[in-house]
Amino acid sequence: MTAELCVLGAGNWGTTLAALAAQAGRRVTLWTRDEGQCAEIREQHTNARAVPGLALPPSLHATSDLTEAATGAEVILIVIPAQSFREVARTLGEVLAPEQLVLHAAKGIETTSLRRMTEILAEETCALQIGVVSGPNIAGEIAEGKPAGTVVASHFPRVVDAARRMLGGPRMMVFHGDDVIGVELAGALKNIVAIAAGMATEMSVGENAKALLITRGLAEIQRLAVAMGAQSATFAGLAGIGDLMVTCQSPRSRNHRVGVALARGMTLDAAVASLGMVAEGVPTSHAAHELLRRYRIDAPLLERVHRVLYDGLSPHDGLGQLMRLPAGPDVSRL
Amino acid sequence: MLGFPSRATSGTTLPIGGDPRLAEEVTERVAARVLARAARPRGRPVEEVVNETLYDERLRLSRVPETDRTRADAAFYAEIRRELPHASEARHRTLLRAVIRHYIDEIAGHFDQRVYEVATRALPVGLAGLLHGLDPVRILEAPREALRLDEHVVLEGDVDAMCALTRRGVVLLAPTHSSNLDSPILGWAIHRLGLPPFAYGAGLNLLANPVVGLFLLYLGAYTIDRQKTDPLYRDALKEYATVAIELGQHELFFPGGTRSHSGAIETHLKKGLLGCALEAFRSNLLAKKAAPRVFIVPCTLTYPLVLEASSLAHGYLESEGRERYIQPPDESDRIRRWLDFLRGITALDLRIHVRFGQALDPMGNRVTPDGTSLDPRGRPLDPGRYLLSDGVVTDDPARDAEYTRTLARRLVASYLAENVALPGHVLAAAFFELLRKRAAQPDLYRLLRSLDSDTCATLAEVEAAVDTLLGELSAIAAEGRIQLGPGVHDTTARALVPAALRALSAYHPTPPIVQRGLRLAVGDANLLFFYRNRLEGYDLPSMPRLLPRGATE
Repeated sequence: MTAELCVLGAGNWGTTLAALAAQAGRRVTLWTRDEGQCAEIREQHTNARAVPGLALPPSLHATSDLTEAATGAEVILIVIPAQSFREVARTLGEVLAPEQLVLHAAKGIETTSLRRMTEILAEETCALQIGVVSGPNIAGEIAEGKPAGTVVASHFPRVVDAARRMLGGPRMMVFHGDDVIGVELAGALKNIVAIAAGMATEMSVGENAKALLITRGLAEIQRLAVAMGAQSATFAGLAGIGDLMVTCQSPRSRNHRVGVALARGMTLDAAVASLGMVAEGVPTSHAAHELLRRYRIDAPLLERVHRVLYDGLSPHDGLGQLMRLPAGPDVSRL
Repeated sequence: MLGFPSRATSGTTLPIGGDPRLAEEVTERVAARVLARAARPRGRPVEEVVNETLYDERLRLSRVPETDRTRADAAFYAEIRRELPHASEARHRTLLRAVIRHYIDEIAGHFDQRVYEVATRALPVGLAGLLHGLDPVRILEAPREALRLDEHVVLEGDVDAMCALTRRGVVLLAPTHSSNLDSPILGWAIHRLGLPPFAYGAGLNLLANPVVGLFLLYLGAYTIDRQKTDPLYRDALKEYATVAIELGQHELFFPGGTRSHSGAIETHLKKGLLGCALEAFRSNLLAKKAAPRVFIVPCTLTYPLVLEASSLAHGYLESEGRERYIQPPDESDRIRRWLDFLRGITALDLRIHVRFGQALDPMGNRVTPDGTSLDPRGRPLDPGRYLLSDGVVTDDPARDAEYTRTLARRLVASYLAENVALPGHVLAAAFFELLRKRAAQPDLYRLLRSLDSDTCATLAEVEAAVDTLLGELSAIAAEGRIQLGPGVHDTTARALVPAALRALSAYHPTPPIVQRGLRLAVGDANLLFFYRNRLEGYDLPSMPRLLPRGATE
């Protein structure tokens, strides 16, 4: 039987979302290119590498054939890291039909092109009815059955309705909006602030300094995003401050963990390798560095994180430099 | 739903204004929508809708000069006003239809097949005559001039594809709008390419224009009165264009609405009329027509000199780009200015570029000459499937408005890519930037006021700036993001500057730039800004954006 929802990507967030929809009685197909992982999901109803300990609903169908997964599905949800997104979107473009609805839940920017994920979808597929899902969603908590909220942003009411039907339920509140650019950029850029917050946590600078860092970080990502066409109000919502709070505070956040590791003196490669998963903030920092130059935006915090990651600046010196900057107006009108 | 056979493939050349089914169908559809809304809970009664028309029209009539047309309108509305308070509900519906029909009759104009045929023959002759500076009264006496129009108007780009698509469905020609000369030139181009006539929505002010009006009235032109604010009128206008497309009528309309006052490629498009393409396509699919497809062909018109540049630039700076529906008389209303303009064009052997871009479907996908829609990777797709919901074609206004926004964005991208950079644009842009940087004045309006005949730069400085800009333009041209016209392609500043100075001086009483020995000085700062703006929107390193970003970019 054709799936209602096809989830592309069986990482921890993709698997969690697929399980959530399947538990709610939706017909879901989960695609992964890894045959072994696919067999494990199908036969043992687990995905130990991505979500250890989670029992997947037996109704969740898994396949490694993207054509089989996507053909005929009402909704396709792509949960693939930003730097691999284009390759999967291009393959999807071979089988996608114009009436299909496409959502993604990737929080990053392609470093080579500086494109957002919906822009990549528009370049690689015929999809027009597209949207993005983002918010304060630590996959592990949702897998454990804890309640959460998320945002779906699309210009198409039908896409919003479909996302609510597929993902909404007693454990997940699905809010909606039409600021696709804002929700995508908020989700991607906050990861850079989370790296800085991780460093601050490890350096024991205190909660006052962390709040200072997070707030100034929010102002910077908001400024860049608005220059790129986002609505500033989005940053006061779940995809903005909501996601930033959880990413900067939770020790389970990957980007936060990268910041902690760097402040302990690990190299970037070692810090990323210690995660065993993709930390989107690392490549996104590079993309943001280019975007700040393109849009001529002053963002001292984002730039210091970039220098720590790529130019050998020590986290301690980076933080010290930030504290010596002249303080301007607290809130600037965008 | 209409079951009319499509005429797109039948080869007939009768413009739609002569089709009696059109007015009836449009009236019925618009009335049906109003009645459906009225029947909803808390829906607006028909009487109220008609009352709104009376109010809006009374306001309009109080603001416009009195003419035969306004007197007839006033008499018509007086009759409705007298009857409305005492009318039954059934009679309200009749009065509603009467109002809609009144609008449609004005929109449809008074098409006459015999006059059309004469005008079609006279048009190329007349335009050629104008281009050669003849007295418009004598133009019909000089038919040989028709042959020479080819020398001054260059038809380029995907010309063959557009011609092929007129045989596979309905073509909506969507050009940029610079001048009142645009529509006669496009009328000539359509005739020259041997295509059936295109219906054209012309503003009332254009139809009243003493020069252009002659060439438009009987060329399938229908009337748009931009001073009418009544929603019912806008609904009728949109429906008229939609039904005409469904009947197989090719159309020409300017998505930018009015002429570009800043001189820049328009980046804010009107989505109302653009949305007719999708509406008609859906109706055609539901009616299971043999040739349901609608193609939108982007087109740029690029002039080395713009007839109304001075008035347009002045208007832009005065209103900061806000639309002005009540147009004061400008150069295009004065035959003397036309003659000066056309003499300028012909004396220097300048060329007007009409460039056709790759056609798009109503969702903005590229279309091949055989009518196949392509996805961004060039894979064929069926555009009708975008309208499916649970396997059936559906009416979804929110979805369709988004599709039309996508179409508008892709049209703007096509305009920028098909824009032809000419020497005058390059010189104006480079010179203006040089002066802007030197003045270090962040406020554009103060900067423009500060530029006068004492503002100079040496020829060497200007040539260096032009060379830098030429390098940047060549780079984006290699990526297909702009076209380099003759005199800009593969050249140097040394060759470009004198040609550009000659072109810019050929018509304007005070040209934008004047040469004084080895220095260049500002002539008319507003004109300099106007011609510079043609290269706005490319985010070139040496040309930062000075105009507000358009909503459709």
